[in-house]
Amino acid sequence: MNDKRPWEPFEKIVSEKWRRSREYKERTGCVAVGHLLPDVPEELIHAVGGLPVALWGAGVELSHAQAHIPSYTCSHAMGALELGFREELDFLDAAIIPYVCDTTRNLFHIWQQCFPSMKNEFLRLPKRLDYPGARVYLRREYERLFAFLKTLTGSDAGVDELSRSIALFNKGRGLLRRAYGKLREDPSAWTQSKVMHLFESWFLTPKEEHIAMMEKLPWDSKAAAESDERIRLYVRGKVWDPPAILALLDELKFVLAGDEVVTGYRVAAVDASLEQDPFDALAERFMRTPAYPGYHFDPERMRESFLERVVQSGAQGVLFLNPKFCEAAGFDTPDFQKALEEKGIPSIVLETSTRGVSLEQLRVRLEAFREMMSEDLP
Amino acid sequence: MVDMQVIESLKQLKQINIDYYLAAHGARQNGKFVAYVNAFTPVELLYAMDFIPIYPENHAVILGARKLSSETAAAAEGMGYSMDLCSYARCDLGSIRIGVSPTWGLPKPDILVISNSQCSTLTKWFEVLARMYKAPMALLDVPHSGNGERDAAAEEYVHGQLEDLVVMLERITKKSLDTRKLRETIELSQEASSLWTRILETGQAIPAPMSVFDQFISMAPIVAQRGTKVPVDFYRSLLEELEQRIENEVGAVPSERYRLFWDNLPIWPELRRLSLFLAERGVCLVTSLYTWAWARLSVGTENPFKDWTEQYLYTANLHLQRRIDDYVELAQRYSLDGFLYHSNRSCKFVSQDIPEVKAAVTKRTGLPGLILEADHNDPRLYSVEALENQIDNFLDLLASRNKGIAAS
Repeated sequence: MNDKRPWEPFEKIVSEKWRRSREYKERTGCVAVGHLLPDVPEELIHAVGGLPVALWGAGVELSHAQAHIPSYTCSHAMGALELGFREELDFLDAAIIPYVCDTTRNLFHIWQQCFPSMKNEFLRLPKRLDYPGARVYLRREYERLFAFLKTLTGSDAGVDELSRSIALFNKGRGLLRRAYGKLREDPSAWTQSKVMHLFESWFLTPKEEHIAMMEKLPWDSKAAAESDERIRLYVRGKVWDPPAILALLDELKFVLAGDEVVTGYRVAAVDASLEQDPFDALAERFMRTPAYPGYHFDPERMRESFLERVVQSGAQGVLFLNPKFCEAAGFDTPDFQKALEEKGIPSIVLETSTRGVSLEQLRVRLEAFREMMSEDLP
Repeated sequence: MVDMQVIESLKQLKQINIDYYLAAHGARQNGKFVAYVNAFTPVELLYAMDFIPIYPENHAVILGARKLSSETAAAAEGMGYSMDLCSYARCDLGSIRIGVSPTWGLPKPDILVISNSQCSTLTKWFEVLARMYKAPMALLDVPHSGNGERDAAAEEYVHGQLEDLVVMLERITKKSLDTRKLRETIELSQEASSLWTRILETGQAIPAPMSVFDQFISMAPIVAQRGTKVPVDFYRSLLEELEQRIENEVGAVPSERYRLFWDNLPIWPELRRLSLFLAERGVCLVTSLYTWAWARLSVGTENPFKDWTEQYLYTANLHLQRRIDDYVELAQRYSLDGFLYHSNRSCKFVSQDIPEVKAAVTKRTGLPGLILEADHNDPRLYSVEALENQIDNFLDLLASRNKGIAAS
């Protein structure tokens, strides 16, 4: 039986960001562990009885952070630092910042300097995804992080607890994948904005509650006939920045065929196996998840595999949603665009930031892109 | 114009650089191979295995110093590279595109070897080059060790990659690593590093015999030819001359009034202009983070792979607290009056924590600092006149501060 307004709780959570996690902590007295996106395995936090709370800075208005980090920093990192200065995050007991690029590496040190009373940890992720030693190293790094987390909660959790957490997360990821499929089946009811609210709120809600809420969604809805054809779009980017870009895509009749955004499909793309040792399973999941631009494997293969993902998705065009000042994303784009061009797949680059980017300008560019694609379509 | 007494040894550099690039271009005819590299890669190993290490970064520096960076960077932007990306990379990629290069371009690489303990940008830049030249690429992935604590798992990971690099190089040369040759290149590298360290230490003399500007231009041999005889011979003659200058009390700046620290990379297109501007005001930049980085790179002959691992993980992997401690120590050793921090738009890796470094260093030393926002190679991203105005205001502050100290 579905609730009458099943989407409302997700919209509320996203609009209130960290409020639900704060209330949960106040209610239960649990240890709340913030982690900067992407790629901190939340299962490790959950298994020790902690509450994982994701941090990302898109859409955050800046004030204090500008005195601590230069303006030529992406808004994901600057916004996250800004949040640290606000009361919104004062319920966090600890923060984990992953090493995914030079900026997150620096952010860790700046964060420590600015918030010394918080228990801070750095997740030293390997970058070399096609090197067998990286997997061995990552497993040990996860064990190190797990040991740190146990000191926070006083837990004596082991592989059994971790396996149970993985099973729970896999269940949630399964529902998220199903929702992503509905987005393509029934895009007028399961809009990008709604489905991405599911994905973002996944990071802001205790997982048991989130799964229960997702189960109440109208999964058996039937697609309504649409007057306009939607254009299938593949998106490569970091976070949905500015957040209003999703509503814009809905409005302009684009539908996501696939994406690599860290608050998008990438969240749910790969499960961790329950057949393996749980630490190995998490390491394997990291290696199999579509690579964040800051990670490395054979450069030619990077371009080819991106092209394969786009083609397999059935996308008619690609949007590079590049965060301004993100070096990792910026270097890939020209070669990837060229590869798409050779396959006859049009693409557009939008360099975005919470600061100084007009949504209207984005609208004009996306409208022109849509028009150009509509003319080319058979 | 201020009358600065030229350091004669520096005149050798022009020929040293010409010989180096000629040798690189002629590598194949001479049975050698070309490896593109960055800082914190084992160049001694490469020389021992008949590779000539080439730094695309140095190529970009030459473009900047020859005032060719605006043209070449703009060419890269035309290829789709954002203006917010590192200007070294943009200049190098743009130079390849339009064929503008004072070094006749760079020879095609047989391999690209990169270490991300320097920065992650270089990995992305090298990925573009690897696709362009269809050449193999070896990333030495060095996990950043948080606050510098030891990490056994990371040591094994990095060590394993270094051993695998040897296998990769042997496949290209079809020859095994000659450990005797490796020992020789390491010994030459040790000697060069030791001489370079002593050169940097001459900056402690008052007046300082050599400024950081001259250190910047004399860095090329320790960077690119560490492991050969070239830097040993060059630095030996340079050190001799500097010691003579100390004895004769010849300063880099004729009337040294202020001794400052330069943080981060230089602003290459303005090297000469800023050098004269500061000299006219009696300011000598006596030491710098960037030039010290090259004094800490020698390894031992007993277990070089272990030493490289340690060096990349713990020495090269700069973290904020150690940087602050280093600056505080340098302030005392070099009798500094203040700090100039180059907040370098193209080097986010070294620049993003500058506000925290400046605050902490000033708190611990009492010395003022000035943050100059500029770029290491793209003059379109700053105004040199505005930088000069900021420096003048800072010098006024130093003057009034010194008056206050004298009065008390």
